[in-house]
Amino acid sequence: MVVVENLTKKFKGTLAVDRLNMEIPEGEIYGFVGANGAGKTTTMRIIAGLLAPTSGRVLIDGIDVSKEPLKVKERMGYMPDFFGVYDDLKVSEYMAFYAGLQGIYGAKCIELTHSLLELVRLTHKKDAYVDTLSRGMKQRLCLARSLIHDPEFLILDEPASGLDPRARVEMKEILKELRSMGKTVLISSHILPELSELCTSIGIIDAGRLVASGSVANITEKLSQSGLIKIKVAEKEEEAVKILMEMPEIAELSSVAGVLEVKVNGGEDVYVRILKTLVGNEIPVVSFHPEESSLEAVFMKLTEGGDQNEN
Amino acid sequence: MRINPVLQKDLKTKLRGWRAPVLISCYIVLLAIVLILYFAGSDMLSFYNVSGFNPRLAVNAYNILTVFQFALLFIAVPAITATSISGERERQTLDLMLVTKTPPRKIIIGKIVISIAHTMLLLISSMPVLGVVFFFGGIGVADIAKLLLFYIFTAFFVASSGVFFSTLFRRNITAIITTYLFLGFITFGPFILFLIHMYIKETTTAIAYSLSYAEILGILFPSPVFGFTSFYFSAASDYYGYGYDLWGSVAMYIDGYIAQETGILRLLKPWIANGLFSIIASILLILLSAAILNPIKRKR
Repeated sequence: MVVVENLTKKFKGTLAVDRLNMEIPEGEIYGFVGANGAGKTTTMRIIAGLLAPTSGRVLIDGIDVSKEPLKVKERMGYMPDFFGVYDDLKVSEYMAFYAGLQGIYGAKCIELTHSLLELVRLTHKKDAYVDTLSRGMKQRLCLARSLIHDPEFLILDEPASGLDPRARVEMKEILKELRSMGKTVLISSHILPELSELCTSIGIIDAGRLVASGSVANITEKLSQSGLIKIKVAEKEEEAVKILMEMPEIAELSSVAGVLEVKVNGGEDVYVRILKTLVGNEIPVVSFHPEESSLEAVFMKLTEGGDQNEN
Repeated sequence: MRINPVLQKDLKTKLRGWRAPVLISCYIVLLAIVLILYFAGSDMLSFYNVSGFNPRLAVNAYNILTVFQFALLFIAVPAITATSISGERERQTLDLMLVTKTPPRKIIIGKIVISIAHTMLLLISSMPVLGVVFFFGGIGVADIAKLLLFYIFTAFFVASSGVFFSTLFRRNITAIITTYLFLGFITFGPFILFLIHMYIKETTTAIAYSLSYAEILGILFPSPVFGFTSFYFSAASDYYGYGYDLWGSVAMYIDGYIAQETGILRLLKPWIANGLFSIIASILLILLSAAILNPIKRKR
């Protein structure tokens, strides 16, 4: 279990993370979403013990990262967004080096290297020099490296960034395997649909503050309280507009190519009432289509303020 | 006993391939050329040499080789160590090491040992060249063993300084320049301080001022050059028809004061005093470097 309490980080007067609170239960795949500069990487680096917080604390299984970093590092794997590799090492040597740094040697190291290279589908490259690997392969190798000591908790900062679509799919498959292995994962990404498919819960960070956190369904549900419905009527469009305008739940109404786009304040109960009212007034409704809130839309909505601030 | 993984990895990558043996071979050949040129320049190899064998030439050759190696130590070790941590940072591999359970102190020690190991490899592989002087007598195996020990102490200090500045500065170039400046200051600073001290004493003391070994030791002990004077065979090397031998004079000057010393300080030869300083300063530099490298203690 990962607990982040009132985490704040200032860099020379700039507030990168602002009183951030977060909880990641065991076995959860927690998606960390935010625009560039929102504070994702800073938060992840603090959790990984690579940066000291200005205030607040991070507990991993009840152990304070700032107070007992080495104990925490035994339980945690970290994959940064940008990283280098030692070009003059072979893949198996690269793994053995990091295994050594984690105190794993000999037969156990060989065994772990073999199984992890299999997991990231790099077994055939074990004798190749790291500099001969493609970007996607290097990303996968770095993921295998972060797993060398079998950590319970993984921090993956943009693991799919810069990868081509095929490599992204491969990375996603590996992450799914990690999920099935019961690892607790904190993963950040800009590819929001990918996160919604992969994560059990998400947190949206904007200007250093966590603006939303919870399961993907919960957050989208919460935000769908102000949704958009597209209504198509066979005739009596003007009458339909008049009826809708009289309803207090309607925030905005426009007609685009014969389709009424209605912004409403409220959830599914309001949708039902709108449809009932229209049908009750004998409006011939051809289609009634509430737009589903994608994670992308949720993200845009939640970070609207931040964008405005930036501009 | 497990080998430090940082040391193991660097040993493997730096000694792999053709570069390392070629570098070592070039170094030995260079050293041999220096020796041959020296003997050639002194008519020793000349067919028409009528002055016969001069054993002093061998000792002077030994002096030249040891100074050459000492200089190499000061040039090569910082070049390796001053980029050891900043290089990892520039390569974006430092964080990957710091998130492991290996403490920063162990990473620092690995980096220092690897640079000492490299230098020692060069120095030890050059021993056969240095051993040429055995043919002429006057220098024993114990002298060379003591010299090696002193080289290790000095390499330890030079390497710790390099790693310290490499930890302190983010950029390689800044770390390299600062390391050389720092080592220059430590090496020559005490001599400048000593000259100032002498000047003040001589101008402010009414009666003839007499210097003691304690004063020399008290000011010069941090300088590796001061320690090195213990290995410089200075006797009769001041003037030998090859120009003025500065270090020979310095070594003779210091030897003279040691001979006058009657107390316990007589045992604290320059190389021992400087060796002790090197060890203590290196340990402090390692602790400081580890503290700086510790991400939790670092401000950013």
